[in-house]
Amino acid sequence: MKNIKLTVNGEKFEEQIDNRLLLVDFLRDNLSLTGTHVGCTYEGVCGACTIHLDGDAVKSCMLLAVQADGHNITTVEGLSAEGSLSNLQQAFNDEHGLQCGYCTPGILMNMADFLTENPNPSDEQIRHGLIGNLCRCTGYVHIVRAVKKAAKMLKDGAREDRT
Amino acid sequence: MYPAEIKEYHKPDSVEQVLEIIANHEEGESLLLAGGQSAMQAIKSRMLRPQCIIDLQDLQELKTINDESETLKIGAMVRYCELAKSSALNINFTGLKDAAAHVGDRQVRNRGTIGGSVCWNYAAACTPAAVLALDGSMHLISSGGETKVICADDFFLGPLDTAKSESDVLVSVSFKKPKTRSGSAYKKWGLVKDALPVVGIGAFVKLDSNGSCYEARIALTGMGVGAQRATAGETLLLGSDGDQQSIEAATESICANIDAPTDLSATSDYRYQLIRSIGTEVILTAFKRASI
Amino acid sequence: MTSTKDSSSIEWLGERLARKEDLRLVTGKGKYLADIAMPGTLHAVFVRSEYAHANIIGIDLTEAESLPGVIAIYTGENIKDRINPMPQAIVQPNLSAKYPTFWPLAVGKVTFHGEPVALIIARDKYIAEDASELVLVDYEELPVVLDPEKALTRNSTVVHEKDGTNEIFSMTFTGGENEESQNSNEAEVNAIFDSAPVVVKERFKTHRTGLTPMEPRGVLCDWNESDGLTAYITTQRPHIDRLALSDILEISAEKVRVIAPRDQGGGFGVKAPFYRENIIIAYAAKSLGKPVRWIESRYESLMNVGQERDQINDLEIAADLEGNLLALRNEGIADNGVGTTGVYWGFVMPFLGAIELPNAYKWPKAHISLKVATTNKACLTPSRAFGHFPTRFALERCIDMVAHKIGMEASELRRKNLVDALPYTSVTNEYYDSGDFLKVWDTLVEKADVPAFRKRQSEALNENRYIGIGFGCGVELSGVASDLLVPMENQPGYGAATVRLDPRGKVQVFGGDAPGGQGHETTTAQVVASEFGIDPAAVVVTTGDTGTTPFGSGSIGARAGSYFVSAVADACRELKEKITRILAYDLKIEARAEHFEFTDGEVIYIGDRSKKSSFVSIVERIIMFPINLPENEVGGLDATAFFEAAKPMICFNADCCVVEVNVETGDFKILKWITTEDVGNVINPLVVDGQMHGAIVQGISNAVFEEFVYDDQGQQLTADFENYKLATAADVPNIDIHYATTPCPHTPLGTRGIGEGRPSSVPGALTNAVCDALMPLKIEITELPLRPNSIWEKIQQSKQT
Repeated sequence: MKNIKLTVNGEKFEEQIDNRLLLVDFLRDNLSLTGTHVGCTYEGVCGACTIHLDGDAVKSCMLLAVQADGHNITTVEGLSAEGSLSNLQQAFNDEHGLQCGYCTPGILMNMADFLTENPNPSDEQIRHGLIGNLCRCTGYVHIVRAVKKAAKMLKDGAREDRT
Repeated sequence: MYPAEIKEYHKPDSVEQVLEIIANHEEGESLLLAGGQSAMQAIKSRMLRPQCIIDLQDLQELKTINDESETLKIGAMVRYCELAKSSALNINFTGLKDAAAHVGDRQVRNRGTIGGSVCWNYAAACTPAAVLALDGSMHLISSGGETKVICADDFFLGPLDTAKSESDVLVSVSFKKPKTRSGSAYKKWGLVKDALPVVGIGAFVKLDSNGSCYEARIALTGMGVGAQRATAGETLLLGSDGDQQSIEAATESICANIDAPTDLSATSDYRYQLIRSIGTEVILTAFKRASI
Repeated sequence: MTSTKDSSSIEWLGERLARKEDLRLVTGKGKYLADIAMPGTLHAVFVRSEYAHANIIGIDLTEAESLPGVIAIYTGENIKDRINPMPQAIVQPNLSAKYPTFWPLAVGKVTFHGEPVALIIARDKYIAEDASELVLVDYEELPVVLDPEKALTRNSTVVHEKDGTNEIFSMTFTGGENEESQNSNEAEVNAIFDSAPVVVKERFKTHRTGLTPMEPRGVLCDWNESDGLTAYITTQRPHIDRLALSDILEISAEKVRVIAPRDQGGGFGVKAPFYRENIIIAYAAKSLGKPVRWIESRYESLMNVGQERDQINDLEIAADLEGNLLALRNEGIADNGVGTTGVYWGFVMPFLGAIELPNAYKWPKAHISLKVATTNKACLTPSRAFGHFPTRFALERCIDMVAHKIGMEASELRRKNLVDALPYTSVTNEYYDSGDFLKVWDTLVEKADVPAFRKRQSEALNENRYIGIGFGCGVELSGVASDLLVPMENQPGYGAATVRLDPRGKVQVFGGDAPGGQGHETTTAQVVASEFGIDPAAVVVTTGDTGTTPFGSGSIGARAGSYFVSAVADACRELKEKITRILAYDLKIEARAEHFEFTDGEVIYIGDRSKKSSFVSIVERIIMFPINLPENEVGGLDATAFFEAAKPMICFNADCCVVEVNVETGDFKILKWITTEDVGNVINPLVVDGQMHGAIVQGISNAVFEEFVYDDQGQQLTADFENYKLATAADVPNIDIHYATTPCPHTPLGTRGIGEGRPSSVPGALTNAVCDALMPLKIEITELPLRPNSIWEKIQQSKQT
């Protein structure tokens, strides 16, 4: 067992947890932040569990919760304040960038990070950036459009996305 | 799906502490955790059941890239995403950049490290092949404080097997800067984009003042034996200026001297064809980059 | 009686409305099965077979049971006298087949790698996994049956011994119902083949692949004596699951409630069967009196479900030199796996695949037969393009091969033979109700501009570049009529919807099907908004709860756009009749429903537009103040409608793709993908576009990247996403969709159900394009997956000949 202190979506937590508890399970089960999803077993390929660790998009199923001690985590629930949507979230709504929504939080977290490094991405760059997120429903076409739109919204001076 | 019990978890902030913790445990009990993108797969599938995990994330001393006059030294905990952006790799060691920029996906590159990758030495991994092609040297510290340097040729022994012993900590990977023009490249093929290499090839050429190659290193991965040198092919590049004939002869020679397996991913014959095709491209690019 | 367009502010039908579902989904507030928390929930983990075929000699639970935190462990032996085995009529088709007997946990022996053998219930899911490692099962290996053709031979090991054969199902689909007429039909077909100027005969193989929704399966069951069983299941068919649980566990039906969570992470058919896991989890919850939860891991999922296609089709086409198709002959062999999955039993997919084989072409005569073999693999589970992904591949490829033999453009040969007058009944007795196939085809061909492409192609060849164009098309089911669903699945096909108005003018809609991402909350709201002239925001849709919704056979076969929204429209119209009756009475005018317009929140008498009421006030008046009503009229505004098309309905699509092949490596790139669709009247183009994109990419991913592989001992080698490779965004192209719609004359809104069968035309179109590119090398590909490795091998072979 270990005592960890971390910040999640701006809120401070102190918890006593098992060493082997996966970060994704900590977020979902201990903190009831069920927006982050589990889509594969041990392989860490699907990306549905993607969150931000100190601003970087990483797979929370490939981290132990104890590793997050002292760090800043953002999950999809922290992408925007209650009652509002970030540019990326709004763009996904506008462009029908989701269907079942299961892969969506992971994609939003990955793309939020991606856009900070690629403010003017081409379709090809977006598609390459999405390799770590599998989607079965959309065929990716609308997702690419949504990310493109979000990039434009950010460039046109829409309010900053929180990451 | 979930790890087996992990009795201890440590997050030391110095290499000294790491060595101390290792020394306090039996062989086989502790695991050094770097980026975790490979290790966590093994831990979650319970292929590995470490009693004690030593998390290296706070070892700031291992996170720098030191671009010195004669050597490029990359800290073991430097991540793929950092390598992919580093201008320090641009002149001679672009091959490592090629490899790092396409490992897995963005999320993997935000965590995975050069040190983790070379120590894990997965059978089909890009970084060990790139490091082998670029003649990297692994700098290790042992429990007694002794340092040792092991060159790539001696470091990579086979899939999941390296010359690093359990009581060592890898602190950096270094590359000697060539005195003459040189260039490198790495490319892989997998069924889906950026997948684990079915065939991955790295090439590194050094040219004399006439643009003629006097030293070449070629390393492959994806053949089921981990990163391996293709010395037969290297020899046929000597004296070449990147001409088509020599490159063709080189790739043919590689095919003739390396065993390519048939497995779920590809047939043996197809692997050889990929060696020809990717090998040609990679060697050409290495020559081109050397000529700039 | 729809509102006239020119006086309504927004016509909600056809509007690219952003979805209502999105707000909760993009903020991580969706509630999928794994997100539902119940106090005191126990966690279940299955121990699954390590062997493909083995007797269970014994199971030692001592170590596992003594692990702290383990509450109970079930095995086949200790439940077999307590749970009714399958088959059960409720989940059994009205088709003659050898239905294997089985329980939720293996009894006596295991028949595929991954079969559930024991169930562990523990306080914590990590502990449950620890315990699963401590269960010791003693197996005695048996010979494995893996090749479907060999399985059908007399001396094969039989998987389900009591059946005496591995042939679970067989059928002839042409020539009528009895053997005599079928044989005489076959003789006629043979005669045509014997004299036809052009005959192409090939063996077409499609590998084992299917769908993998991003959310794996899960079951959460709660039992108490008073309410009975409440089962949350990731299911497309809650009403069917409810009846099955009631029958199998002998819990009186009124005490069984199945809820498909409002949010489901995709279904695609994989969540349509009635699964073993449902039964044993419900049983455990009832026995223990505590909520029990099972969340499938991806490993389990890939081992057990999502495997489909896997057919050999020995297909022949007879034609004349002008390109007229004369006859079709096909003998299909499907590898069913073990067949132990309720509702479909694996074989229903190839059954439908054979029925749909004729596709959109006029066949004067055909002989189509099918044999389905039991093997030691996971049972086939439905996957989008249910059963006909392989038969479409075979047919569309063979048509191209016929065109090549004649020296005719494949797109022209298709056009020549497309059904040009509907309704039409196919040679397998499938009814195509309506549509204009030629309009769809011509629209596509215009966009494709084949002559211009041929010019580019020959220029490219001069530069040693190989580009190709390929076509395919698909007639797809638009809903599944009772006429087909009753025999095929012992279930009704009708769509049902309850529409309930409230005194504030808001609308609740209840539907018994259970979607997983298709946007039904939004499209349904658009339909209701259009009918009543209100805003879609005022409409709330509830689905998938057997406790509150009318019966629905499930979210299958494109039922929403065909059957469900039709029932919704009908229910709305019934209510509009009542509303206008009472309003006319209140306004003291003689008028019928068609004299009123529902628009912009008002109900207006067309004859004198000053005579009107706000929608809210007339609705409130009828529900809350039901006095001074016309004679025989009573208050309340609630209607349930059932919609059944008189005849089965279809939709139609066509694909064209352009590829470039690297002949050095066999690798290829899709340069362009164009499609034309007759989807009937479109409610929400955004949603329909999304369905098409998703289906086509699934088709590409299935055809090229994905493959379930078993080794020669029946060990499944592809049970993770590292080995079972899905296309990523970087592997698939953009898709160019064009609509060439005709309204469906049989639905109130002229809509068609879409999306289910959509992937079926993809493997043919793609392979046709690759073969077209490689025409100079005379390569015809007849096997999937379409891999660079195998393309390169074919290129090498062609160089040698």
